[in-house]
This record gives sequence, C-alpha cells and structure tokens, in this order.
Amino acid sequence: MNTVDYTQEVPIVEGRPTLQEINELIAKPLDTKPDKKFYIALAVTLSMLTLGVIGLGLSFYYGTGMWGNNNPVGWGFPIVNFVFWVGIGHAGTLISAILFLFRQKWRNGIARFAEGMTIFAVMTAGIFPLIHIGRPWLAGYLIPYPNQHSLWVDFNSPLVWDVFAVSTYFAVSFIFWYVGLIPDLATLRDRATSKIKKTVYSLFSLGWRHSNRHWQHYEMVYLVLAGFATPLVLSVHTIVSFDFAVAILPGWHSTIFPPYFVAGAVFSGFAMVQNVLIFIRKIFNYEHIITINTLDRMNKIIILTGSMVGYAYAMEFFTAWYSGVQPEQFTFINRAFGPYAWAYWIMVSCNVLFPQLFWFKKIRRSIPIMFIIAVLVNVGMWFERFVITVTSLSRDYLPSSWAYFKPTFVDMAILIGSFGFFFTWVLLFTKSLPVVSIAEIKSVIHGAQPTHEGH
Amino acid sequence: MPESQEKSNKFWKGLKDYYDDPEILKAKVNEFNDGVSDDFDTDQLSGISRRKFLALLTASAAFTATACTDYRDKGEIVPYTKRPEEIIPGKANYYASTCKGCSLECGVLIKTREGRPIKIDGNPEHPINKGKICSVGQASILNLYDPERLTNPTKNKNEISWNVVDKEIIDLLKNAASQNKKIAIVSNKINSPTSLKVLEKFKEKYPTSEFYFYELFGDNTKRNAWEKCYGTRNTPSVNIDKADVIVSLDSDFLSREGNFIENTRFYASRKDIMKSSNFSKLFSVEGGMSLTGMNADVRIKLKPEFQHEFVLSILNEIILVHGIKSKYLNSNLLSILKKYDFTDFISKQNLDKKKVHSLVESLMKNQGKSIVIAGDSLSEKTHIAVNLLNEVLNNSSLYNRQSVNIEYTRVSSMSDLKTLVDEMKNGTVDILINLNANPVYHFPSDLKFADAVKKVTTIISLTESPSETTALSNYVLPINHALESWGDSNVRNNVYTLQQPVIAPLFKTREKESVLLTWLSEDAKNFTHDIYRKFLMDSFKKEIYSKENTDVAFKPFWYSAVHDGFVELNGKKALPFNFNINNTGNLEAPKVQNGITLHLQPSYFVGDGRHANNGWLQEIPHPVTKVTWDNFAAVSLKTAEKLSVSFNDVISIEVNNKKLELPVMMQPGVADNLIVVELGYGRENSGEVADGVGFNANKFLYAENLISPFILTNINVNKTKYIYKLVSTQEHNFLTNPSIRNFQKVRKIIFEGTLDQYEKDPKFLLPEEKVLHGITREHKYTGLKWGMAIDLNKCTSCSICVASCNVENNIPVVGKDQVEVGREMQWVRLDRYYSGEPENPKVSTQPMLCQQCDNAPCENVCPVNATNHSPDGLNQMVYNRCVGTRYCANNCPYKVRRFNFFNFRDHFADAYYENDVIGLVNNPEVTVRSRGVMEKCTFCIQRIMEARENAIREGRELKGDDVKTACQVACPADAMVFGDINDPESEVSKYREHDIGYLVLKELYVKPNITYMAKLRNTDTEEV
Repeated sequence: MNTVDYTQEVPIVEGRPTLQEINELIAKPLDTKPDKKFYIALAVTLSMLTLGVIGLGLSFYYGTGMWGNNNPVGWGFPIVNFVFWVGIGHAGTLISAILFLFRQKWRNGIARFAEGMTIFAVMTAGIFPLIHIGRPWLAGYLIPYPNQHSLWVDFNSPLVWDVFAVSTYFAVSFIFWYVGLIPDLATLRDRATSKIKKTVYSLFSLGWRHSNRHWQHYEMVYLVLAGFATPLVLSVHTIVSFDFAVAILPGWHSTIFPPYFVAGAVFSGFAMVQNVLIFIRKIFNYEHIITINTLDRMNKIIILTGSMVGYAYAMEFFTAWYSGVQPEQFTFINRAFGPYAWAYWIMVSCNVLFPQLFWFKKIRRSIPIMFIIAVLVNVGMWFERFVITVTSLSRDYLPSSWAYFKPTFVDMAILIGSFGFFFTWVLLFTKSLPVVSIAEIKSVIHGAQPTHEGH
Repeated sequence: MPESQEKSNKFWKGLKDYYDDPEILKAKVNEFNDGVSDDFDTDQLSGISRRKFLALLTASAAFTATACTDYRDKGEIVPYTKRPEEIIPGKANYYASTCKGCSLECGVLIKTREGRPIKIDGNPEHPINKGKICSVGQASILNLYDPERLTNPTKNKNEISWNVVDKEIIDLLKNAASQNKKIAIVSNKINSPTSLKVLEKFKEKYPTSEFYFYELFGDNTKRNAWEKCYGTRNTPSVNIDKADVIVSLDSDFLSREGNFIENTRFYASRKDIMKSSNFSKLFSVEGGMSLTGMNADVRIKLKPEFQHEFVLSILNEIILVHGIKSKYLNSNLLSILKKYDFTDFISKQNLDKKKVHSLVESLMKNQGKSIVIAGDSLSEKTHIAVNLLNEVLNNSSLYNRQSVNIEYTRVSSMSDLKTLVDEMKNGTVDILINLNANPVYHFPSDLKFADAVKKVTTIISLTESPSETTALSNYVLPINHALESWGDSNVRNNVYTLQQPVIAPLFKTREKESVLLTWLSEDAKNFTHDIYRKFLMDSFKKEIYSKENTDVAFKPFWYSAVHDGFVELNGKKALPFNFNINNTGNLEAPKVQNGITLHLQPSYFVGDGRHANNGWLQEIPHPVTKVTWDNFAAVSLKTAEKLSVSFNDVISIEVNNKKLELPVMMQPGVADNLIVVELGYGRENSGEVADGVGFNANKFLYAENLISPFILTNINVNKTKYIYKLVSTQEHNFLTNPSIRNFQKVRKIIFEGTLDQYEKDPKFLLPEEKVLHGITREHKYTGLKWGMAIDLNKCTSCSICVASCNVENNIPVVGKDQVEVGREMQWVRLDRYYSGEPENPKVSTQPMLCQQCDNAPCENVCPVNATNHSPDGLNQMVYNRCVGTRYCANNCPYKVRRFNFFNFRDHFADAYYENDVIGLVNNPEVTVRSRGVMEKCTFCIQRIMEARENAIREGRELKGDDVKTACQVACPADAMVFGDINDPESEVSKYREHDIGYLVLKELYVKPNITYMAKLRNTDTEEV
C-alpha cells in the first residue's frame, strides 16, 4: 500500500544515484552494441516502413486512385494520418516547453524523449500533405516563392497556413531539442573513448565546456526557446483544425475545433509518450528516473485532456442541435447511428470511457492497465480524425452524392508504413542519443539543489 | 587654361602623382607592371577569336539547356502546305447529315475541326427533331474512333484485300443464283429509299436473294394494330403539344418509344412555367418505373398484362356508365365491353380509386384534347383497344396527318424467320449476308439461329464492329461509320433527309451500299469511292428533285439539299385514314394467370445492344435507378420481400426451360409481382467495352406463353445464393432508411408544389425570405455575368445533357470498378430523389452541375489559387496550377467537382481509350486533364471564348445570347437557359426573378448562379 506524505515533495528521481552513476546509466545504450532484441524490433519497424514505401510507390505510379478516396470523400487516410501524427507530436512540446515554464520538474526525466518523439511525429506527419495531393511533384506550388508566372499562393487557404505551421513547428522543435542536447553531447564527448565518437560529439556540442557562463547563456536560450515553443503547442493544432473548421461542411464548420483539437493532440501525444516510455524505462533500467510517479502524473494529464475531448464531443452535439441547422444536426446523428457508427463508438469508448478509469489510483499506477488504456486512446484518437474527416464528407448536403468510403490495401499499407517510419526513428534515437537529459536529471537528483532540509 | 588651373582640375592619386614624379609618369606609360605580362605570350594563346569563343559558349549553353529540359516528342504537327479552301485552322466547320444510330434517323449537324468530326448535335432546321438528338446520337461519335472498329476485310479471320473479296463473293453470288440457291440478306429496318433501291437492284441481279428485316424493338405491333384499324401501316405522329391530357399506358414516349425527341419537345412546351395556365396533365399507367412514369403528374401502378383489361374497363366506364356516344359502337363491341366493369377492375387490381377516376374524368372532360398512348411492348389487341378509345374520345384530331411515319420495309414475321432457319438447316441457303445486323445476338433463341448458321456455306457480315455474328462469319467486311458515308432517309412522309460524309474513311472500309453496288456490277474493278454517291444523286434526281416542281436547276438544288441536310416534301398532302371498327377482331382480353410477370424493355442508352461498345453510353447512369454498366431485375420492395431478396442478390428467372440469373434491384414504384429487365446487355465477342456487361435476357423473347413478345406471365423466380454487385451513382438507402427520407425537401434542395397552389398564390413555395448578409466585402459584378436557369417542370431527366457534355468536354470513361468507388467523371449529373411511400413514390429529378457560385467555397480553400473567379462570374479551374489537394471538392456543398484519381484514359481497360485514333475525338478547345487534377463544369468556357472572339472581331459587345452551352444545346426539352443575368431583358434573368425560381442551398450564402424552377405537379388537389 502506497501512502504519500503530502508534507514532503515527492522526489523526482528515486534513490540517491550519484552524478557519475547517472552519466553511466544514460550513456549506457550509446556505449553498448545493440542487442538481438533491438535488431528484431528494427526489423519489424523496417518491414512496416517497407510496406509503406510499397504503398507510396503504387500511389505515385498509378495515382491517388489507389486509395479509397472517392467523389464526396476527397480526404481519406492520408489526412487522417496527418492530423493524427501532428497530434502525437504535441505532447513532446507540451512536456518540454510548457511544463518547463511551469517549473514542473517531473518533466525532466521524460522531456528529451517526448521531444524526440515530437520531431519524429512531425516528420511522419509531414509526409502526408506531400503525398496526399494528386500531383505530388508539384508540391512546391504550396510555397510562396517568386516566379516568372507571377503566381502566388492563396493565403486564404488553411492548407497554406498548414505549410507554415508545420514547418515552423518542426524548425522550432528541432532547435529546442538540439539546444537541450548540447550539454549532454558535451558530457558524452568527455566520456567518449573512440576517436570518431569524440569528433562527432565535439562537433555537435559546439565547444561546450560546462562553464558557468555557458550555463547562464544556455538557461536563457532554453527559456526563450521554451517561450517560442509554447504558443506553437496551441497554434499548430489550431491551424490544423482550421483545415476543417474553415470549410462549410457540416461537421467541419465548427468554432469548437481549435481547443478541441489541441486537447485531443495533447491527449494522444501523452498516450503515445507513455506507451513508449514504459518500454524505455524497463529496457534501459530507468525505473528510478522515469518513476511510476511520473507515469501517474502523465495519466492525470491523459484523464484531463480526455475529459476535455469528451466534453467537446458532447458540445458538438449540443451546438448542432442548438444551431437548428438540419444538415449539421444530421451529421452528428449520422456519426452516432449512421453507416460509420462503428467508428464513432470506437472513438467514444476509447477516448472518453476508458481513460475515466484513471480516476482510480491503482489503475493510474498499474503499468499493464495504463499501457492498454493509452493504446486504446491512440486507437480512439486515430478514429476521431477518421470520424471527423470521413463521416462528414461521406454524407454532406446533397443526399444524391453521398457515398461510403472504404480504405484499400494501399491505404492500410501507408498507415502501417507511417508507424514503421516513426518507430524506426525512435529506435535509432534510443541507440544514438541520450533518451533522458543527463543535465536535467542531474538537476533534480537528491542534493542537486540547495534546500532548507534539516536546517 | 593656365597650368596651375589645369593642375588643380586634375585628379591625383598621391603627392608623387601631383608633383609629376618621373617614376609615376613612367609607370603610367606601361599599363602593366614589370613582370606581370611576362607569361602573356599571344602566340601561345589558342587561335579562337573572341567572336568564335562567344559562339561556342552560347552553343554549349544552349545544348546544356536543351539537354536538361524534359522535352518529349509529342509527334509531328504538319501544317497545311495547301490549305483546303473551306478549312481555317482553329475554326469549326458544320455539316448537316443524318444520324444512323437508330431507325428514327434524326437530322444532325456535325461539327468538324481541321477535318475531323468532334461533335454531333441535332440539325436546328430539321422539322422533326429541331436541333436535338438523343444520347446515342451524341455519343455515337465515339464509335467512329472506336479502337476496335473493323479496319480491314477478313476472310476466316485473315486479312484480305477488298479486290479479292469482291471477286470471290461475286463468284459465289453468281453461283448461288445460277444454282437457284438462296441468298438470305438480314438487315435492320431500312428507312433509306436509296439503300432499298440498291437492294432491289441486287435482287434483280441475283433473283434468289431474299431480304429479312427485323428490329428488336420498335413500333411494329403498333403498326400492325394501326393497319387493322385504319387500313394503313403508316402511323401518324401525335401532336402531344396540343393534348391537355396525356395518358401513357406502359409507354415510355419520353425516352424510349416513338420519336421521343419530338415527344419531349411537345411535352415540355406544355410544361412551360411562363405559361402556367397551359400545363398539360400526364397520367402514366405502368408496371415498371420508367422515365415517363417518373415524370407523370399522376402515376398508377398496373402490371402490363392487365393493360388490355384496363382499356376495356375505361371504355366500359365512359360508354356504358357516362354514356358517351360514338359511331364506332356496335352491339358486338358493347357486349364485350359489358364484361369489363370499371369498379370491378379497380377493386380487383387494388388501384387507387381517386387517381383512376381522375384519369377517366380528365379524359372525358378533355375529349378531342387528350391522347392515350399505348406502349410498344403491349399486345396488338391492346393497341387496337387504345385506338378505339382515342376515336371514341375524338382524340384522333391530335393525329398529325401531315407528318406520318412511313414504312419502307416491313419487319419479317416470326414465321418468316422460322422458315429462314429451316432453310438454313436444310442447306438450301447458300449465302447469308448480314447487312450491319447482328442476328445471332438478336434473333430469339428459340430459333436456334446460331446453330443454323453453321449449315450455311458462306456467311458474309458487312458491319462496323465485331459482334456475335461476325464471330461466326466467313467474310467480315468493314463498312463506313455513318460519318463517313453517303445516304438518305425518309422516316416521315414530309421530310427527306440526306446523309453526307464529313471525313474520309479512317480505315479500309466501304459504304455497305457501294459494296453491294460493286457486287451487282459483277466486277470488282467497278468499285469507286463515289459509286454510291452517284447512285444516290441519280436516285435523288428521280425521286425527289423531279417531284418538287422547282425552277432551280438540279445541281444547285442538290447542293442546297446536302447543305441543309433535308428536303421538306411539300407536295405530299395530309394522309387520310379512317377508323374501321369491323376489322379489329375480337377485342376480349386474354385470360391472364396470376403469378410473377417478366417485362422486357429496351435499355435507355445502349438500345437493343448495338451501342454496347460505347463507353460513354454504358456509363451514363440509368435515369431511374442510376445504375451504370449493367442491367438488372427491377422488382418492387414487396416482391423483393416475398422472394426474400435484397439489392444485389442474384435471382434466377425461368421461363420455358430457359434460365437467366441476374441481380435484383429494388425499385420503388414497380408493380408487385413484376420483374422488369432491360435488353441490350450481355454481349459477347463485341469488344472490350461491351463484352460481359450485364446479362443477356434476349433468350426470353418470343417464348410461348406470351401476351406480347416482351411480356411473359407466370414465370418462375428463385433466389440463388450468389451476390452480384450492381454499381450506381446514387446510394439506395433512402428507401430502407426512413430517417433520411425527404431530405431533399428539408434541406431546400427540391421545392415542389402543385399547379393549383401556384395559381392561387404564385409565391406559395418561396415566400419573401430574409435577406442574407455576407461578412466580407463582396465583389460587385457589373457588366456581363453568366448564369443559368433550369426548369424542372420541363426536365425529364433524359440525360442527353450528360452525353453532350461528355463529348464537348472530353470526359473520360472510368469503368464499372471506378463508378463503384464513386469516381465517375461526368460534369452534369441527374440527381433523383424519392418522396412519399416507397410503394408509390413521387420522383423528383434535378440536373446538378457546377453552380458557379459568387462566393464559391471551393475558391478560398485552394492553397495555390488553381480555382478562382472571372470578372464575368465564372468559377474557373486552372488545370496547370492544380496540385490536387481535393480541398475544393470537399468544400463544395453541391459535390460537383470531379477528381482525376487516375489517368482514366490509361486506367480504363488497359488504356483502351488512349491511342492515336481515339484521341481524335477530343475537342481541341478543351484540355485533356491529366491524373491528379480537379475538374468540373466550366459553363463551356471554350464556347464563351469563341463567342467573345467573334464579338471582338465584329466590333460589338458580347451578349448573353451569343453563347449556348453544350448541355443547353442538347436539351430536347429546352429546360436549360443560359445567358447574362445582369441583363434584365435576358431570358435567364426572367427565370431568375420568377416566383418559383430558387437557388439550391441558398442559406449557405454561396450565391449560386443556377436558378431552378420548382416543379409544379398538375394534380387535381393541392396535395403534392
């Protein structure tokens, strides 16, 4: 039975590891050769990726007709996947930037990894806007560049905003992540024995000498970048939601979308981070760094954002009814009881019902159960995007043009491929860079900060 | 200038320079410092001059530049070295001719560009079809360029030259004639007097020749009945436009029977909202749900075998009950009529009393101003009874005796055909010639024609494309497409039309008449390409010119006739005919067994199957069910329940030991215990497109237990365990799901009312609505602004606009697999909505095309500005700029945008429609869209541009009337009006301002530019 002494601050890192021990522990995956399990995992993700590449190859060779998209349903899996993956990215930035600004020290153990996932998720997401268009070789038209045709992009279109939002997001996240890595790279450089490693680490640690002034500047830059990244957490998914909200389609044309999408993004992102961390802490023996308390806290955020999402679902129904607009009302009835009811109820149960189990502390702290719930959350969040995109399109204003969307093999292959792409990066990340910030963990171990304890 | 002053003006680099130091002066003389130019030996330099160097530089730059471009050789473009006088590149030429798609043979106007035909429309001056033709005529241009057209004569599937073929066949014919062996010639009905003359000459030459004419469908029964009643097989056309009440008895006179182009025009002229007091009233009594029934003001369900009894009951009611007197009534007739009590019939058939009584009352009230039309598939007796009914009601005044359907060739009777087959089996038939006919597919299977064919020594097929018959022929001789041929036609007694070629034969083909002429000249060398033209001219001179009593010399008369495409035969007077009751025989209705009935009907677009290899026609959705690429068994919902089948379940139909399995289509409005199947499908050996599309139900024709060849009673139907996927462009779930019924009304897509309501209050449908306000600064459209009005009262959903648009705008064929996943590409579609009870639905239809919204929601979401607005109010699509995000299509509330998911020309049937020949069908003014590009209706912008160019050249303002869109030109009902909505005088603005003109989904404030005129049903009550 766990009893918590609320007069005491819960230690972030359990036990009393020394600085040296932390160095050793975090650098261990980088020092050792990958084991068999790693290769098996990599083989799986690469196979998935290959499947996706085949799917993409077919799509490029024959055309977007290889997918299930049809005349009313212009957007299918690629857009669903895009929104899903952008959403996954959001947890990372929230953890590393917002929680940093809020001085939530428990984030220190998970921030690096979450942020890495942000980058990979945005990379994965970034594939989809390119491939979903009919003529991907002309994707450059979406970028405003001076040209002899005097052609310009249409800044009214949310898709152009997307281009900026996602590329900005990627750039800022990447810089933020890299800046955070610098002290660790220097630590690794100092430990490195092989010449190649030393050179590479030296190069990327930009001459970091752990000097006081370095730290001073670093802290300032990190703070400023956190400040930059914070609005992006809100803006990126807001803009992604505009892809839908700006349209006049019933089920899309909704002012609730921006907060609802952001909450959903954080929700799914946390679930994904939680899922992967459960493996990481186990495999790399980080259980005392990424403690059950941290996971507990993450689960609390999952229940919070899950409830926000649930509220949004309810509110959508209310506004549809309150609007008095028949097509709008029908869209929601159709979601719940129409041909895509199965998708809707998967979404509701996974996103609203199951996360409510996290009200129970036992469940919040039970690794197998929280893992399953978080997996379900991601299933549910993928279906949320599917429900929004496909059900609204498949039955819009004119009943004469309604049609049912059915994904094809290629759709599935690309979806699986996106997971392969993402997890391949994750796997490579675990073996090439410290997945936990050495410097930041050192700052929260016992005795790292001056306290008034015992005085 | 003094030295000091000169010095002070001088620029100096340093003090030494200022004081003219000798060192500096010396250095100034030498341009380069010592040693700098030591290595610079002009002799050692290469001898290339500066000029040459620059030339080489430019040349290599040019080489590099061109090597890096992705220039692909797109073929040669060869200019005219000597331009033909009549051709101006970029300018279309138009030629009048005759359509040979079916036996109506309408006058057409063919548009050619640089010598190749690209579009067929009706000849506007033609007195019968007045500028309109059907979908088949529109799409028939594709057959000219069909990749599977026969290109070369073949003998036993080996290519052979015409010369050899002619020689061999002439010998064979001579032999047959000398040995007194039969030469059987099978042909469709011939309406061309000159073709017939060729055949007569052929018979003179080869006296053992025998001709057999047949049509799978047509008015043969009607003519038989007419002959009995009036003593002539020439049936008058009917002035439907003068009828206040039209009663259609299983007659699809608006789309499949008679000259439906003319009928539609007449019908629509009485559904003109600008003259609402003049509305006619259409009753349709039918079993299946036909296009006519769909448009009827009052529709009554009745199985086809009871039509006869129905007509007799009406006669009973009006004569015996209401006491209408007629000179045709004799005691015999009265005694028969007594057996058919109207009330009994109503209760026996469980008909809607109100509707049926209203029908009878309307007929009696409008004596002399009403018409009863019997369907072609009904029995001869029914036709006779209907003729009698029309006479009793004095409706014969609506018969147009000036424009009578004449008959050159009589369709062979079943017994004639049986004799032919017997003779073939006996071996007395030596040569069988198929004159562009397909008897193996069309002849009733009872005849076992295909087996008999094997006993014939020589089978010669003269035809355009492969078929079931050519597969069994020894000689397959390709003939010219109608657009490559001379010819004539005389369908109505008052009009003689001429057919002229508009392109030289693309392949080694010949006109069928010129082949026959060569054969009867007995020497293959006598063939010349104008052999038939000369014959035609001679014949024209004798038969037409000489009888016209004109002062004009022959040549000018001929040229003007060819130019016009027709000659009106004024000399002929009104043909008299009088009803003779004594020849009509026993009118008693046959005893009908209760059970499931099979009704065979023509296909809407592939006719009797002869157009089955035309992808455009296969892909036009069925006007009622919206199914493409298939036929099916249409059954009512109750019958489906009884058979425990649903959509796509395969049933097996068995009549006289002949079995056919085909899928079920639950069709609201079909009479119970009735199965309607369309013919013309299930072709074999007929080409990539036609083969295997649908199911061949021809085998049921002429079975023994028949009311008429097309109505088979008491058939066996069983459910099978199979499923066959029918594809349609609209979902079927409206029938089964009551929660989504009537959406078209709730969502203000369809407005409908009755004529009575309208007459009481013209604003009843659309009372003054709240003014909608936008939140943006909107563009003010001054000057010309394009818009369209579509009158839903006139529109019959015939889908000719779809066919016309396909041809005009280079719409690809996508195939069944792509229609299944909702990727049909047609820019215009005919939306169909049901309302009311599924057993007795009201049908509303609506042509839906790009609404060219002022606040187009597609435009602001396009990230690359590929769709934008023109100053004259067009929503434009820039294909080159389009990257294919499909966002525009998502945001279009009308879902009229079409996306090229594939390069469909390449994707359909292994690039069937992508080759050098088929490419010629494309309209050169319209871009052929590539894969990954969005497209949609452009309001025929190419026509607008052409009109604008003309206006500029003529130095005048472009007017709204200058442009006619392809759909508008094709619409036989003139339901579409296009023009300038900013011009208050224009026709389109009058529609736009009309009380019942409405915009679809107006509340979205997208401000569409297509106004729909609400449909007013002419029912007695105010119920819709």
